[in-house]
Amino acid sequence: MAIEVKNLTKSFGSGVTAVKDLSFSIAPGKVTGFLGPNGAGKTTTLRCLLGLVSPTSGSATIDGQTYRELKNPISVIGASLEASGFHPARSARNHLRVMAAVANIPESRVDQVLHTVGLSESANRKVGGYSLGMRQRLALAVALLGDPKVLILDEPANGLDPEGISWLRSFLRHQAGLGITVLVSSHVLSEVQQTVDDVIIIRTGSLAYQGSLASLSDGGSAEVVVRGPNIERLTRVPGWNVRSGEGGSLIITGVSAAEIGHQAFTESVELHELREKTPDLESMFLELTQSEGSTT
Amino acid sequence: MISLIKSEFRKVFTTKLLLILTLSALAFVLLTVVLGVYLTPGPPGQEDVNGLLEPAAVTNIYASVGGASVFVLILGIIAMSGEYRNQTISSTFLATPKRQMVIFAKMITYSILAFAIALLMWIATVIVATILLTTVEHAPVDWTKVIQILGGALLGLVLYAILGVAIGALITNQVAAVVIALVWIFVVEALLTVFVDWIGKWLPGGALNSILQATNTSGFGGTDALSVPAAALLLISYAVILAIAAVVMTNRKDIT
Repeated sequence: MAIEVKNLTKSFGSGVTAVKDLSFSIAPGKVTGFLGPNGAGKTTTLRCLLGLVSPTSGSATIDGQTYRELKNPISVIGASLEASGFHPARSARNHLRVMAAVANIPESRVDQVLHTVGLSESANRKVGGYSLGMRQRLALAVALLGDPKVLILDEPANGLDPEGISWLRSFLRHQAGLGITVLVSSHVLSEVQQTVDDVIIIRTGSLAYQGSLASLSDGGSAEVVVRGPNIERLTRVPGWNVRSGEGGSLIITGVSAAEIGHQAFTESVELHELREKTPDLESMFLELTQSEGSTT
Repeated sequence: MISLIKSEFRKVFTTKLLLILTLSALAFVLLTVVLGVYLTPGPPGQEDVNGLLEPAAVTNIYASVGGASVFVLILGIIAMSGEYRNQTISSTFLATPKRQMVIFAKMITYSILAFAIALLMWIATVIVATILLTTVEHAPVDWTKVIQILGGALLGLVLYAILGVAIGALITNQVAAVVIALVWIFVVEALLTVFVDWIGKWLPGGALNSILQATNTSGFGGTDALSVPAAALLLISYAVILAIAAVVMTNRKDIT
């Protein structure tokens, strides 16, 4: 089940271009994080893919078909969207029964998904009295109802407490273990960092990065932190990019820790610390999403 | 389509809206019956005379069943616009991306409900009106017309339910849709039907009155009305035009 977004552009009537010429594809059987700051166009992209918003140009397809062309779509793609609500006076079970009727899904499946998301106990209570976390779980139950091969989850971690986020992680890992393709959006990398294989990062409606999570951190140049009583001499080595760090330390880029150690040894510079600092994903993420387009 | 209608019925019966609106409609219709029996004025200039000696006034009491049309219209409006208000519209269109199917399923579902409501209201009206009329002096009841009123109520209420669903799809802001519908019925149409009946008879409310055999006995304006088949055709045309507009608008709409 391949998801392909090609040159997708969406402008709303108010002259706002939410998505600009966005292209990416999603590998089947993997968990892909769809990341970007709030307002980057994540929700608009997902809604285009799900046939709720018509693209201005370009396309978003599932195995070559648009969502509106799918037969019995909820058994192909299960989606939970951020701004999708529930009637406050209806119970979780009845919400699912309404959906189930459309796709001729038996009531036993309703109980099954309620159990999967841990809502069996409160299934007959009105959704109006649910906490945000319970609503997120119900949204996941809705997505699972048709036993789809693809899950598209828009900000499923929003409003969850740490316990909920940890539950969500194990939920996503479990789904991935079943061979389900998962696309999960978030504006916070750390929420999905431990779960995703690949990431797609967008910024002001355009693609900023697509690839594996591992190669995201390779993209940054490694820094070496050096500390010692008389390290000033290292600032004069030709070809080194040196700047001062915290507490009298130096931060050197462009050379390996081994080369720095060797240079210090030959110049008899006493070192108290020589440490390679790999850029963390969060700062890589911030760098990708905040440059250029951002004014802050 | 059967499964979509089943889904719509599950939506209806998992909230209290239908019960509340049906009971409100019943109260409104029966109140109109009571007022009709005890407070029908005489012809202009002879207000002290018992107005019920006029056969049309007696028929009008049975036509009170038409008052349920407002509630059926509101039911249809809330059924459709409520999906936008509660943001369940996303899930609905995810399950059924062919949006016209959702609108058609709602129209069929609420037509069935409107049919049942019309039957219930007519039975209640006939029972209460007939009992209350035994307490006052009145012209004989024209039972042929009372039966025709049942036919008119069944058709009229079904069409009003369809109009309601269409209006709810066209004006997705629920409060605005309900307010506009109420102002239309109780202000615009009420005034035009009574005072400018050559316009009023061409409006949905005027057409409904015609198929319900209700006549303007207020003493103002004339009693110009369309024939029952013409009025029925007019009301059907309104429903079809608004339904087409609703489908076109809904299919073009971005659900954000």
